[in-house]
Amino acid sequence: MTATPAGRGPTMQSYVLVWIGLILIVGVEVFLTYERLSAGTLLASLLVLALIEAALAVMYFMHLKYERPALFWSLIPYLVFALVMMDHFWPDALRLMHQRLSAP
Amino acid sequence: MSSPYGIQSKKLAMWLFIVADASTFGAMLFAYGFLRLANPAWTRPFAFSPTIVNGSVMTVVLLTSSLTMVAAVVAAHAGRTPAAIRWLGATMLLGTVFAVLHLREWFAMIGEGWRLFQNPLGGSPLFGATFFGITGLHLLHVVCGIVVIGVIATGFRRGRFDADHVETTSLYWHFVDLVWMFVFPLVYLMNVR
Repeated sequence: MTATPAGRGPTMQSYVLVWIGLILIVGVEVFLTYERLSAGTLLASLLVLALIEAALAVMYFMHLKYERPALFWSLIPYLVFALVMMDHFWPDALRLMHQRLSAP
Repeated sequence: MSSPYGIQSKKLAMWLFIVADASTFGAMLFAYGFLRLANPAWTRPFAFSPTIVNGSVMTVVLLTSSLTMVAAVVAAHAGRTPAAIRWLGATMLLGTVFAVLHLREWFAMIGEGWRLFQNPLGGSPLFGATFFGITGLHLLHVVCGIVVIGVIATGFRRGRFDADHVETTSLYWHFVDLVWMFVFPLVYLMNVR
C-alpha cells in the first residue's frame, strides 16, 4: 500500500517509519527512567523526547507538514504561547497564596 | 471565497477543537507538575512490573492504532471502502484494548486502596487526584474516539460520509495518541520507585 491521501503527503512506508521511530523513542524513555538520572535531568530528557514524538505525530500522522503553512502559523505558535503563559502564571498564583494575611 | 488554509471547514473546526483541548490537557499537566513540586512527600508508587510494562504495552497499542488510522485514511481517499472499514475496525479494536488495559490497571490500584484523595502508601493524597484526573480525562477521550470512529465507519460504509470525514476523525484520534505521549512519561515514568 503506497497510496497517499488525496494524492499528497507521505506514503504508507513513511507512516510506518514514523511509527517505528515513535516506538523507539518510547523505548528510550523507559530506558532513561532506569538510568538513575537526577529528577531534573530525567524530566528534561523525557520532555524533549515527548516533544519530538508530538512533532512527528502532528507533522506526519496529522498531516500538518503537508497543509498550507498558514494553518501551522495560525495554530501552533498560539498554542505554545498559551502553554508558556500557563507555565509562567501558575507559580505566581502559588506565590500570591503565600502572601495572604492570616485571619484576625 | 476559498479558505485561506485550503481545507474544509470541518477539518479547520477539528484543528481548533484540538488546540483548545491541548490547552485543557496542558493545564492539567502543569497543575500536576506544580502540585508535585510543592509536595515534598510526593509518592512514587510505580514498579517496573506490572505498571511500567503495562503502560509501555498501552503506549505501543495506542501508537499502533494511529498507524491503522492513517491506513484507513489512505484507503478511504483511494476509494477502497472495504479496506478503510477494516482499518477503522482495527483502530477501534486497538483503542478498546488500550481502554481495557487502562481499566484493569485502575481497578488494581483501587483494590490496593488508591482513591481520588486517598493514598494507601501514606504520602500526598493528591497523587490519586492527579493520576485519576489526568488519565481519566484521557480515557474518556479514548472511549469517545472509539464511539466516533464506529459512527464514522458505519456512515462511510453506507455512503453517508466521505473520505474527508474519515480524515477529520483521524485528526482527533492522533491527538488522543499525542496526549498520551506526554501522560506516559510525566505521570508514569516520573513516578517510578
